[in-house]
Amino acid sequence: MTTIVQVTGLSKRFGRFTAVDDASFSIEENRIYGLLGRNGAGKTTIMQLLTGQDFPTEGEISVFGNRPAENAAVLQNVCFIKESQRYPDDFTAKHVFEAAPWFFPNWDSEFAARLISDFRLPLKRRIKKLSRGQTSAVGVIVGLASRAPLTFFDEPYLGLDAVARQTFYDRLLEDYAEHPRTVVLSTHLIDEVANLLEHVIVIDDGKIIIDSDADALRGSATTVAGLASAVDGFVAGREVLHRETIGGFASVTVGPLDAAARASAAEQGLELSPVSLQQLIVRTTTGSESEWEDKS
Amino acid sequence: MTAITTGSSIGPTTTLGPSRIVSVLKLQFVNRWTTVWIPLLILGAILVMNIAIWALILANLDASADRAEVQEGFQYSGASGYIFVYMLVVAVQAMNLTFPFALGFGSTRRDYYLGSSLAFVLYSVGYGAILTLLSYLEEWTGGWFLGGRMFTAVYFGNGPWFERLFVFGGGVLFFFMIGVAFGTVYVRWKARGLTAAFVLLAILLVGAAALVSVTNGWEALGAWFAQAQAVGTVAALLIPTALFGIAGFFILRRATPKS
Repeated sequence: MTTIVQVTGLSKRFGRFTAVDDASFSIEENRIYGLLGRNGAGKTTIMQLLTGQDFPTEGEISVFGNRPAENAAVLQNVCFIKESQRYPDDFTAKHVFEAAPWFFPNWDSEFAARLISDFRLPLKRRIKKLSRGQTSAVGVIVGLASRAPLTFFDEPYLGLDAVARQTFYDRLLEDYAEHPRTVVLSTHLIDEVANLLEHVIVIDDGKIIIDSDADALRGSATTVAGLASAVDGFVAGREVLHRETIGGFASVTVGPLDAAARASAAEQGLELSPVSLQQLIVRTTTGSESEWEDKS
Repeated sequence: MTAITTGSSIGPTTTLGPSRIVSVLKLQFVNRWTTVWIPLLILGAILVMNIAIWALILANLDASADRAEVQEGFQYSGASGYIFVYMLVVAVQAMNLTFPFALGFGSTRRDYYLGSSLAFVLYSVGYGAILTLLSYLEEWTGGWFLGGRMFTAVYFGNGPWFERLFVFGGGVLFFFMIGVAFGTVYVRWKARGLTAAFVLLAILLVGAAALVSVTNGWEALGAWFAQAQAVGTVAALLIPTALFGIAGFFILRRATPKS
């Protein structure tokens, strides 16, 4: 694996507000990353810093071995599709796709044409007259058809319906299989993209709180449900991520369980169920002092 | 889940180079409807309306002496001035909207600025040529057959073609660069920056006026304009044009495309 992005001690402050706080992580080549977190957690700011659209307050960013800001050699290999991407007022989608190949050497116009029909995008209507979902489709098509070695999608599908979102996931996976590249996807809809992601970076309040392989993360927590007394006995001494009780019953989310622990839980009549990525992230980003945070 | 990868992976490319500037240049020409056809259509409409007004005025005059006197007045026309202001707006829009768009496409601020400035120079030459042609057409048709003056208005002079091209093209470029400068101020510092820039500009202009008054220089200044004529005035305007252009570059270099 080749590291193509290396971030060390990165901070970005706007006045007194700290959007990104001492973040360090790396991105490997040819993987799909999820950059997850709540609104205002700092996802967009991180992507703006990585694509040279903003300048760091502190810390180092290296993309393809160089600083991205004002570096054409780096940026011509980067495509950044923002949810809030602005287009010239009287541009139509046709203008956007006409200009795209001048900026993206790997642009595939046949693929773009196929996506345009998949998303039923009107080409001749001005972008400011398009619906929210159609505007998002413009960005999604640029992001996919540009085939940039490093592609950022920041909440790319605001306003897209479920069918269109599924089309996006399908096309992304298909094209990624044929033309491997590095994709960083930021989103709220964690469950929807959970199967796409190979690596997950979770940011909360400007800090990186999870940076883990997606498979490892999925196996990292289990929910134990049953009689409160039995559950409490079972989880004693384990890290507890979350607890819910209804009457005499309890449902507790704990860290990884080995085979012996699973067998013992079964003997005690406790029900074990996997925790979805979304639940896991919700639980780690709402509890402010959870042990999980310190561990990762 | 790990996706199965079968195809060849996409590695970073290092080619392109100065063609990035050309890409931005082409981007400024991709929607010619806004930057070419609409302004020319409006210009045509203004010309038609002017011709109608000239015809109306002349139709109501009998004495040929009156007609000559009125036609004398036609030379003070500001009808073609709108095209200059339109280009100022084009430049502001470009900085405000095309800039964040180009950055999303992986352009650097430097390449964006150089490509856009080059595009504005080309537009200026193009509009300069069109206005020059129209000025000759106006002469050859005896002022659209009515003695009307729109492109040979007194401010533009009536020198040889290269002087007219210089006056029109330089004038358009001056307005482009005002738009660029204020557009970049807005992109970098938003409304507050723009207010500050206008206040600063007002102070400079009032200061300059005060300086001229204190030194009793109005007469000399008027004499200078009379002597410099259109060509000299536009040549002098190239200095602020260049200053605006240089300022815009450094202002945009640290600007961030905020939504």
